[in-house]
Parts: sequence; structure tokens; C-alpha cells
Amino acid sequence: MLQVQNLTRRFGEHTAVDDVTFSVPSGKMTGFVGANGAGKTTTMRMIMGVLTAHAGKVLLDGRSVTADDRATFGYMPEERGLYPKQPIIDQLVYLGQLHRMSQGDARSRAQELLERFQLGDRRKDKLESLSLGNQQRVQIAASLLHRPSVLILDEPFSGLDPVAVDSMVELLREHTAQGVPVLFSSHQLDLVDRLCDNLVILQKGRLVTSGSGDELRAAAPRRHRLTVSPDAGWVREEAGVTVIDVAGRDAVVELDSDDDAQRLLTAAMARGRVHEFSRIRPSLSEIYRGVSQ
Amino acid sequence: MSTITKPRHAGHHPEGAAPSVPGSTQPAWLIVTLREVMVKAKDRGFAISTVVTLVLIVAGVVFNAYMDNRGEDFAVAVTSDAGRSVVALADEDGRADGGNTAFKAEVVESDDAALDQVRSGDVDAALLQDKDGLWTLTGKEEVSPGLSGGLGAALESFVLSTNAAATGISPEELLAGSELEQSLLEGSTENQAVASVAGFAFGFLFYMAAMIFGLQIANSVVEEKQNRVVEILATAIPIRQLLYGKVLGNTILAMVQLALYGGAALLALNLTGTSDLVGGIIPASGWFLVFFLFGFLILAAMWAVLGSLASRPEDLNNGSAPVLALILAALGAGLFATGQLLVVASYVPVVSSVAMPIRMLNTEVALWEPILSLVIALAAAAALIHLGEKIYRRAVMQPGALSLRKAMKLEQ
Repeated sequence: MLQVQNLTRRFGEHTAVDDVTFSVPSGKMTGFVGANGAGKTTTMRMIMGVLTAHAGKVLLDGRSVTADDRATFGYMPEERGLYPKQPIIDQLVYLGQLHRMSQGDARSRAQELLERFQLGDRRKDKLESLSLGNQQRVQIAASLLHRPSVLILDEPFSGLDPVAVDSMVELLREHTAQGVPVLFSSHQLDLVDRLCDNLVILQKGRLVTSGSGDELRAAAPRRHRLTVSPDAGWVREEAGVTVIDVAGRDAVVELDSDDDAQRLLTAAMARGRVHEFSRIRPSLSEIYRGVSQ
Repeated sequence: MSTITKPRHAGHHPEGAAPSVPGSTQPAWLIVTLREVMVKAKDRGFAISTVVTLVLIVAGVVFNAYMDNRGEDFAVAVTSDAGRSVVALADEDGRADGGNTAFKAEVVESDDAALDQVRSGDVDAALLQDKDGLWTLTGKEEVSPGLSGGLGAALESFVLSTNAAATGISPEELLAGSELEQSLLEGSTENQAVASVAGFAFGFLFYMAAMIFGLQIANSVVEEKQNRVVEILATAIPIRQLLYGKVLGNTILAMVQLALYGGAALLALNLTGTSDLVGGIIPASGWFLVFFLFGFLILAAMWAVLGSLASRPEDLNNGSAPVLALILAALGAGLFATGQLLVVASYVPVVSSVAMPIRMLNTEVALWEPILSLVIALAAAAALIHLGEKIYRRAVMQPGALSLRKAMKLEQ
């Protein structure tokens, strides 16, 4: 498990990351969300040791990460970049070697990853001759090349077409299945919903909330949908009920406790027919929107 | 199909966190060095420019040798026996000591006939004596220096011996004691000529290599910075090793190219038979290689820092002035420095790379002098690489262009 404890980074007067603590469990995908400028990239760069933290630490399996540990991490920086004028395979082998792979191992692994991305026959092409989407795939291959022990990916899905997103997801799932903790940032909330076991939400450098999907949902306000006839307007007058929305026979309400829910249901049945009364299970993106308002 | 053939990390195994991959024994700086060399070696432009330079060097040597050996034939119209004798004397001198300048007299009836022959191009010039005994050499549009020089000297000795005969003294007696012997307190006259040629060659080779490979280092640094590859590299290896690898790789390339050029020049000189002067250059060339290495290391560190401060290759022009000044100073030392100035220059790092080998060609230099100069250069190289590493490490991670002052204040 990768843990971030009290990480803080200032740039001059501005505190970009302020006392942020969260964990990235092994074998889980953790989504890292927040508006632009929330401090996601700064946090990831501190995890990778590219940027020095002014306070706090990064732990791997309970002990401080070392440079040797980080050499086994897979990292995809926010600003993409490899060597544009060099053949793809050459630069992947070079990066693999720098990550302490043997030349032969790096070559066969690079070949294997390129084939997964349908780039096997273009391995000798210069990077700049590829489309941006394909360059992105090479970038992903570069971060996965050395069979990383931890994956830190800054916006890995941006710029990918749906097919590439699927093969990326498949690759990431293979890594989590091996117990690798994966932290990725994204603005695509639908993807976050689909992929994440965990969510970390930053806002203006501070942690808003973090935890597993179940934990976050349990902590989210209890919203219920109620459909009655002839009309749902009466819910406005009920005690202990916060009305979110009422339209004709439908109402969405927020309730503080299960007792309030039972009381509301009883009242509804006393007034007429009840067609639906259900707990709304919020999506992670709704939770994100809820907390970052 | 699973791409993960070796399950490695698992959060629960402590040993899984920092695995070492078997089979990889190369240190990071060596991997970087090899890449720098391979990328450049595979670069077609680099290969072509190297071959072209080699061809130019060999062609230059061959052309020089050809020009030296090429004979000249001059036809001179004369109207008198005296004229014919002067031309014959010039011919004799021109062919003496392995020379191959030939003079041939065309005897004609009159001065006008002689001038007609010049006009028509049948002869190169007319050598005529007027009634007062004054000699004139007349050409059509120009008189080549070889022609006027040869005839002038011949005329002088002809007149001398004629006049001497008239007074009854032999020309030898007349000239006795007039010879001027040349000697130098330090070195020899022959070395002086070699030194000026070698000084130019050393200065120019240093200049070329410092510019080509220096810019190569700076570009390679700025490329990684611009593309942010450096961020990935920094997570894999200490950034210091990246700098070492670049400096070393390009130093190797520069040394190999220098040895190639020098070797080609020496070989061509030998093959064309102009090698009498070469013997003196070889020891100094050996020293030059060593000095070059140290001087280049200093410049390499500077170029790497320049690269890390830039945000695009275009930015390299800004701020490269101090480095260029140093390189030009080294070139200038090779071309112009003499005396005390040269002695001082031979201890200034980078400039000493050219100045000390030249001093060693010119004069006797005690062995401790180049060694001391090398120690100074080495200390400067170590200090600059150390300082360069600090700036590089900070600046290269920082997007955008930076001033040196700002880079020093950066924290990582």
C-alpha cells in the first residue's frame, strides 16, 4: 500500500498542496480528482520524488520510499514527452535499461506492449511520425515497461480514443490483479466511476475526502426517491425532510436517518398510493460534484 | 493474455517493493553515455559532415603539396647576350636545390619585337636594357612574383659579377662577410614555422569540437527538458548520472573525431612527402589531446548548464556568450598569443588546451609546467562539473527558460 501523509508544498506564497493525507491500497485503482489547480499534479510529482515536499512523507508498505523504490514505480507525467526524433523501440529499450532491465528483457517487453497497442509494426518509426493518440500509447508503454510495483498516472486517458481507453483499462486491471496500487488522475468522471475502487478528492490544495466507494457512499447524504399519486407536493411540509426536488408525483428528498425514512413512507401510504420509494445510490461523480461545490 | 509474466510487487511483501532485475549490471551513467554516442553515430547528418571534413582535410594537404611541387615555366624575350645570360642564371637558380622553376630566353631582334611577343602572349615578359644600361622587365597585364623574383636575383648577381670582373675582384671577395646567419635564443627557426601551422590547427580543431559537441550537449539537455522526458528519467536514475553520461558521451565523440581528423592529416602529410615538419608536431599533438580532454570537460559542463536553463533550442543563443568567449579565447591563443601572454594563457583552463601545446612547440618547456597546467584545468573541471550539476539538477526540472541567478535560487 502506498500512503501519502501530510504532504505539503508551497510555491512562494502559494500553498499548492496543503497537509494532504490519503492511501492507495494495493491491488486497487484509486481515482484522483479535483478541479484544475487543485494540486493533483504537484502531489503526484512529490510521490515520484521529482518535486521535494516541504512537509510530510510518502510511505510504501509502511516505510518511507527510497530512490530505489521509485525506480520501480511506473510514472506518466502530466506533460507527455519522449524523444520525438527517435525510433520508438530504441527509446523504450533505453528507458527500460535505465529502470534496471537488461537490454534483451527491455526489448522483448517493449515489443510485447507495442503489439498490445497495435503498434508492433511501427516500432522502428520515429515517435513524431505517429498520431498524437499513438504517441500517447507509447507513453503508456513507457510507464508499464519495467513491470512497475506502483503506478502513478497523471491523466492517462486524456487523448485516447475509446478502443485505446479499453485496452488501457485492461492493462491497468492486469496490474491491479497482481497487487499493484494504481493512482490515476482524471477529469473524465464517467471513467472514474467505471474504474475506481477508491477516490481521492482535492480542492485548492486540500483533501476534501478520500476512501473506498462504499465508504464515500455511506458518508454521502441519504437521498430517496418517492413516487406517489395523486401528488407529492405535501412532502414540503413534513418534518425531518429536506426537499431536493418535487415535480408532480415525483420527489427527491434528503433524510437524516432511517427513522425519518420510515416516517415519510408511513405518511405517504396514509395519503394515497406509493409507486416507488428507494434509496438513491450516488455515483462517485455525483459524490465528487456534491463535495466540491 | 497477461503481460505480467513476473508478478513482482505485492503490497504485502516487503521485498517486493524494491526488486532488482537480474541481468542488468550497467550503471546508469554508462547507459546514458552509450545512448549519446549511438544516437549521434546513427545520425546521418553527423556522419556526412565528418566524412566531408575528413575529405577536406586530406584534399587540403594534397593540394598544398601539389602547389609546393608544381613547377613554373617562364619564357622571357631578350635582345642581348647579357639578357640571355641573366635568364640562364635565373634558370640555374630556379632548378637548384630540387626547385622546378624554369626560365627560357627567346632572343629577338629588337625591343619592339620583344614587346610584340609579350603582347601576343608568346612570352611571359620582356627583359630589356636601355641605352643607359637600366634594365626593365615588361609584362602584359602582370608580372608573376616568381618571374620577377627569380630574374631580379639573377640580374643582381649577374651585374655584381660583371662589375666585380671590371674592378678585378672576384664576386666572392666582394660579398665576403655579408651573409646574415639567423638564430633564435629559444627554439629553432624550423619549429617556429611548424608552431604557427600547428597553432592554427590546434586552435581551430578545439574551436570546432567545442562548438559542435558543446552545442550537441546543450541540445540534448534542452530536448529532454522541453519534452519533459527528464521527469521520467529523474524517477529512474539520479539526475546527476544523466549529466555525467551526457558529458562523457560527447567527450568521447569529440575525442574520437579529433583523433580521426588529426590522424587523417598526419597520414596525408606522410603520404604526400611533406612530412619533414611532422616529426615536431607529434609530441605536442599528444599533449594537445590530453589538454583538449580537460578543456572540453569544462566546456561540456558549461554547455549542459546552458541547456538546462533554456526552454527551447532557440534560447541557447542567450547566455552562451561567456562560453563562446572562452572558446574564442582558446582559438585566439592558438593564432596570436606570444611571449608573456602565451605563458599566462597556458595556465588558464580551457585556453590552456591550445596555449600550452603551442608553447611546448615553440620553446623548451619544463615537464612540470604542462602537468601543473593540467592539474589546474582538472581542478577547474571538477569544480565546474560540481557546480554545473547543482544548477542542472534544479533548472532541468523547471519548465521554461531561466536565468542563472534564478536557477541558483531554485529549490527542487
